[in-house]
Amino acid sequence: MYAQNGSAFMADEDLLYTVLADLKRTVREYTTAATESNCQAVRRVFNDLTMDTLRLQGELYTQMSQMNMYTPPGKALRQDLDKQIQTAQQTQQKCQQFVQQKIGGAGNYTQAANVPLHQANVHSQNPYYM
Amino acid sequence: MQSTQMQALSGKELEYIADSISNEDLLIKQLAATAGTTQNSTVHQICVQQIQSHSHHMSTLIQLLQQHQQYAPTQPQ
Repeated sequence: MYAQNGSAFMADEDLLYTVLADLKRTVREYTTAATESNCQAVRRVFNDLTMDTLRLQGELYTQMSQMNMYTPPGKALRQDLDKQIQTAQQTQQKCQQFVQQKIGGAGNYTQAANVPLHQANVHSQNPYYM
Repeated sequence: MQSTQMQALSGKELEYIADSISNEDLLIKQLAATAGTTQNSTVHQICVQQIQSHSHHMSTLIQLLQQHQQYAPTQPQ
């Protein structure tokens, strides 16, 4: 077959898991590089590489799942989901009120029900804004 | 974002490109090592396909460096 010697260095599962972890890290680094690019040509390349690496990571994950090499994560409970929806709707309402206070009721600001608001952690201390 | 014209790379951009080449290099080597030891033909096929994509990424990054070579100043500015 494909083995060069009798005993494998590591199980296929472990080796592919390492590749999967490195793909995740590489996607993050490409994203960061794109946001910090000054030259548009460089940004475009990092953007394209982000998308392609994301695709490769997704494909590998799917293939590993199909070979039962990856245990799917546990399901979120209904009560936790209900609670999050309630909190999110309150957050959305308060956000809309804030916007109306700041820009007035005459604006056309509408928040589609299925469009998520920005997550709070997006605004965490990011030292990389250009 | 600046103009669409090709310009000199920033020091940071150069570092990101160099780090990205290292990442692609590591991925290719890990995939090649996996392909070389596996006895599973599906795993072998997955690795070979991924190696092709990552080799293409590495070429793209090297081309990016080459495209900016002529715009790089020879003295610190």
